[in-house]
Amino acid sequence: MNAADELYWDPYDHSFVVDPYPLFNRMREESPVYRNERYDFYAVTRFAHVQRGLADWRTFSSARGDILELIQSGVELPPGTLIFEDPPVHDVHRRLLARVFTPRRIATLEPQVRAFCRRALEPVTGADRFDLVEAVGAEMPMRVIGMLLGIPEADQPAFRDRTDSALSTEGRGRMEVREKEDFGAEQFRDYIQWRKEHPSDDLMTELMNAEFEDENGVRRTLTDEEVLTYCTVVAGAGNETTGRLIGWFGALMARYPEQRRQLAADPSLIPGAIEEILRFEPTGPFTARYVVQDAEFHGRTVPAGSAILFVQAAANRDPRRFPDPDRFDIHRVTQHMTFGVGAHYCLGAALARLEGRVAAEEILKRFTDWDVDWNAAELAQTSTVRGWKTLPLVVEGTRR
Amino acid sequence: MSGRWNVSVDRRVCARTGLCAASAPAQFELDETGQSHARAETTAGSDEVMEAAESCPVEAIAISDAETGEPLFPPES
Repeated sequence: MNAADELYWDPYDHSFVVDPYPLFNRMREESPVYRNERYDFYAVTRFAHVQRGLADWRTFSSARGDILELIQSGVELPPGTLIFEDPPVHDVHRRLLARVFTPRRIATLEPQVRAFCRRALEPVTGADRFDLVEAVGAEMPMRVIGMLLGIPEADQPAFRDRTDSALSTEGRGRMEVREKEDFGAEQFRDYIQWRKEHPSDDLMTELMNAEFEDENGVRRTLTDEEVLTYCTVVAGAGNETTGRLIGWFGALMARYPEQRRQLAADPSLIPGAIEEILRFEPTGPFTARYVVQDAEFHGRTVPAGSAILFVQAAANRDPRRFPDPDRFDIHRVTQHMTFGVGAHYCLGAALARLEGRVAAEEILKRFTDWDVDWNAAELAQTSTVRGWKTLPLVVEGTRR
Repeated sequence: MSGRWNVSVDRRVCARTGLCAASAPAQFELDETGQSHARAETTAGSDEVMEAAESCPVEAIAISDAETGEPLFPPES
């Protein structure tokens, strides 16, 4: 093997953003326990390994964060940031949120989500060309989180921009971690005071009133600081990930026109198509953990004290699990790794599925055929998310 | 919430979050792979069990009235 063939994965190298899959396939087959010396991390790519690792919080801790840069920075993380906690504390906090985040409660948002989607698509209806990300993808998730939290509509776009800039790696490779990272929490502080005086049927009000037994066995309600952290976590985790899902819908439906026509003819196929999009192009391609005790994968030891990446995008295309994995097929029935597994299974999964389905339905009600101006389209990668930053659709067929 | 309930976990749907076992440990347990199952097929109805079913992110838990067989969760739509 010559030097050009040597397997090397740099998660910050933008040349892998367009199509990381050939490299992921090689890692999964040739080097299932991949070691990157330069950035000092391990990576596993097989479905069985990713599944085992993400479920095993005793060995692979979230307490130092779930992003490589965070784990390596040793930065102090605010307590109550449940994505950065391990059981049993994690489960106390997660149960509290899960009560107000049940699939059924999320389902009640559907009319509001649909109304927003219709309003967003109205200005582009009849257009020959429009940017799907700008029209729907960038805006919708923060609006929906705003509906959940009770953030006044006029203020929602500002929230999105602040959360995104905290997680961006563009132009500088690695994410910069501030000494006391708050992920944009300050923006919510004023609303907590305001909501106390104006309670309503929203997540923030429920969080302020929810009684629970804390990790010390004390029955209490959340402090303002804790409510703030919860809101920030929900906003940060749900914003870009879900926005990118809508972009991937537009891109994959352009690339696979036959399957798009099937969806347009039979919208009952849309939920299955959303699952396949989530498998095929997961908006969060990998998740980091801190190794607490020596672990073994494929006969190789990953030592305690390491950082490890579980590459869900690679696991989702493991031929041991998915027949013909590089084939996009909306009729496939699968359980992919995109939302993770175990205690940190994505709290917002039902919300992402709802937004993806409603956006797909509303788009297909207006447009039946489109292509993408691929030269003008732009893919972006942050430390956590991969997806379209701009996706100009060239409309070739409408309902009228 | 009262009476006797039949509780089951659909293994094809379960995503092994372990949330049910954390919130209702008397009713749910996890095997070594993280897969949840009900400790007993029939149990006393309680808010705790209902909360576990409602909070499951993939709705893998089904509850029905042990006597009448009436589905309690997910409710019939």
